[in-house]
Amino acid sequence: MLRRTFSLLAAASVLALTACGSGSPSSTGGTAQGGAAGGGDLTKVSVGVIPIVDCAPVYLGNKMGFFKDEGLQLDIQTATGGAAIVPGVVSGSFDFAFSNLISVMVARDKGLDLKFVANGASTTGEKGKDVGGVVVPAGSPIKSAKDLAGKTVSVNNLSNIGDTSIKSAIEKDGGDPSSVKFVEVAFPDAPAAIANKQVDAAWILEPFMSKALADGGSVVSWNFVDVSPKLDIAGYFTKADTIKNKPELTQKFTRAMNKSLEYAQAHPQEVRDIVGTYTKIDEAARSKMTLTHWTVNFDKDAFKTLGDAAAKYGTLSKAPNAGDLLP
Amino acid sequence: MKALKTLGYVLALPVLLVLLWWASTLGAVNFFVPTPAALVQKFAQTWFGPRFFSDVLPSIGRLLVGVVAAIAIGVVGGVVIGSVRWLRALLEPTLEFFRAIPPPVLVPVLMLLMGITDAMKIAVIISGCVWPVLLNTIEGVRAVDGVLSDSAHTYGISGWARVRYLVLPSASPQILAGVRQSLSLGLILMVISEMFASSSGLGFTIVQFQRSFAIPEMWSGIVVLGLLGVTMSFIFQWAERNILRWYHGQKEVENAA
Amino acid sequence: MSADALATGGRATRAGRGRRTGKRAFPGQRLLGLAGILGFLATWELIPRLGLVDAKYLPPASEVVMALVRDLGLTAFWVSVGETMKAWFLGLVLAIVLAVVLGFVIGSSTFLRRATNSTVEFLRPIPSVALIPLAVLLFGVKLESSLMLITYAAFWQVLIQVLYGVADVDMVANNTAKTYGLGPLARIRYVVFPTALPYLMTGVRLAATVALVLAITAELVIGSPGLGREIALAQSGGAISGMYALVLATGLIGVVINALMRLIEKKTLSWHSSVRSEVIV
Repeated sequence: MLRRTFSLLAAASVLALTACGSGSPSSTGGTAQGGAAGGGDLTKVSVGVIPIVDCAPVYLGNKMGFFKDEGLQLDIQTATGGAAIVPGVVSGSFDFAFSNLISVMVARDKGLDLKFVANGASTTGEKGKDVGGVVVPAGSPIKSAKDLAGKTVSVNNLSNIGDTSIKSAIEKDGGDPSSVKFVEVAFPDAPAAIANKQVDAAWILEPFMSKALADGGSVVSWNFVDVSPKLDIAGYFTKADTIKNKPELTQKFTRAMNKSLEYAQAHPQEVRDIVGTYTKIDEAARSKMTLTHWTVNFDKDAFKTLGDAAAKYGTLSKAPNAGDLLP
Repeated sequence: MKALKTLGYVLALPVLLVLLWWASTLGAVNFFVPTPAALVQKFAQTWFGPRFFSDVLPSIGRLLVGVVAAIAIGVVGGVVIGSVRWLRALLEPTLEFFRAIPPPVLVPVLMLLMGITDAMKIAVIISGCVWPVLLNTIEGVRAVDGVLSDSAHTYGISGWARVRYLVLPSASPQILAGVRQSLSLGLILMVISEMFASSSGLGFTIVQFQRSFAIPEMWSGIVVLGLLGVTMSFIFQWAERNILRWYHGQKEVENAA
Repeated sequence: MSADALATGGRATRAGRGRRTGKRAFPGQRLLGLAGILGFLATWELIPRLGLVDAKYLPPASEVVMALVRDLGLTAFWVSVGETMKAWFLGLVLAIVLAVVLGFVIGSSTFLRRATNSTVEFLRPIPSVALIPLAVLLFGVKLESSLMLITYAAFWQVLIQVLYGVADVDMVANNTAKTYGLGPLARIRYVVFPTALPYLMTGVRLAATVALVLAITAELVIGSPGLGREIALAQSGGAISGMYALVLATGLIGVVINALMRLIEKKTLSWHSSVRSEVIV
């Protein structure tokens, strides 16, 4: 009796599963693209990414076969942030991974021998149309960066690229960056935080920046652009050991990655489409959001400005050496 | 002599483990697992300073407030819910439902409702710690001995006196078991409450160390958490021994028979 | 000896004292439970609609329930549920096995119990979230790192319970067994294990809940596959209704697991608890 019930249940669930639609929970369509059919000659390479717009080139390049052309079978693994990504690279779980510049600078500062092999994301350089900025709610008395002095500003992670670039922007505008109180609020929660006046201003990235602006907020500082219109925000990095011991693999990956970056920059609509497959950003937000700027070369001057600022504000113990970190 | 023996028991195994750890980190240098020497050095450096007052004490304060509030709500709520049958039937499925929701998921909701304040952090702690106390109290209240209950009824003891002299003492072993669980939960929740939307605190500091790859400091923070846990546990055990003196005595007699 | 001894199952050994709570459903109990749930849903529906909280950030219950119903028809949703359940189950089983073995060994000797007390009390409250870098270092963003966190947290729950269970063995029974020439293994099987079983089942029930919470948390923070990762994805993509729908799903799974655990507890302990009537206090 029990066995019969059990097997009936099993059969029913199998039938139900096949009847289930495809598509991921809570997304508005678009099915995940399957990976390329594995050939026997392909080397498996695992890449750690964060499911955000910035990483679209990896997905796009994988879809277009750029990595397969270089003989690489890409295994894309998503992590939620640098805290999980850097240990993953150090332990070898990921061959390469995506992270913002400051996180890797900090890791290097603490003694981890990491190095970038390819660019990952840069600012658009256009004030008024960048991927992130400091947003204030409607009716706020704050009108420019220097007004942020003495106020509470939220960033997604402290001692990282958000607060470093904001402090730099405040200083450039003539304000006192040391008087700002930074708190950590994740980007999805930031529009609510400023609407409810829990913080005076928030650093928000797309797609949430558009949401906050639709609420009536306005941007008082395009902090990335203020640091440098050519600022590189993030890149793909690996252990220095990997570069030394597997030079061919590194070069192949770098070539494929660069091709993907250029392709993504040239085909924004395809980027918007593929973002829908690995994130839960809905159609409306995807079509409105400002896209990251992708470029192949790192800007050494912008790097130096960022690094010096980070050292100045205490995030790093000393300014990083571009030769150590950049390809 | 007895004191020395107790001390010996407390320290023996930890010392052994530390020696093992020291031996295993002698050769290779692993970035993510520091040597004991490095850890001790960083520990003193990190925690015996202004950080103690600006981060550790406020966190402990929030933790205590949260746990005490959770115990109060749990006991009061538990007595009420446990005593009124239909109320329990009404609320039980909903309570079970809430219990299963992981705290990190509740944080955005609480942030919406309460903002980025101390109250929010305390609410996170309460939202997790209240369950062991509440559910254990309900169980304890339900299981009051039938004979005792009837005797009390015969003597006309009702209302508040009944709660104070019959229900609470009878359920107290169960309640204290719940309190013990909620103490260790409280520490975990304190860390989680400071992982989001925070700018100071013990848990916040540890997470920041984690994020900025200051690994020895992070481990030293974990040691602090462990020490806090041990201290709270010992205080609790002492308090419990006093409160449940009657119960322990009873059990001793039964066991010796 | 402490509160846990009585609280969690030792009471069952007191025959006739009516302490192990039996449950006799009264007519309408299920209905009331349902009413409670509906009441909660109604409150949730009203709060955003009345404007107490902006509906953009806390969508009304109806929207979330609809999103959940839609999810139930997606294969990927069930795959995530499967991943979470896999991590939960494996972590729980591993924790139980380790805790039972260690618990029996430590619990049967007063010396070992006292020697390990401080270490256990020190390690127990350390939040698994603090072990995340270590987990990722060892296992990357995969199932195994979730397992490490889950097992670590669930282990302590069960261990403490087993320790109390083993320590609660009735001296008389144990001595009688010794007199009759039962060796240590036989004694464990016939005396110690049955005494410890109620405690163990309570520990398993508690650990089951903890394991679920940790599974979701690990997936949320690290990104290992499962429901927690979907929640993080929904949150970082701004799909608020979807996120709450997944949270709802988590709560429901928790309720189901709890009901399942209670059922298992009742079945395994059916020999143990006599029929007790519920005392109306």
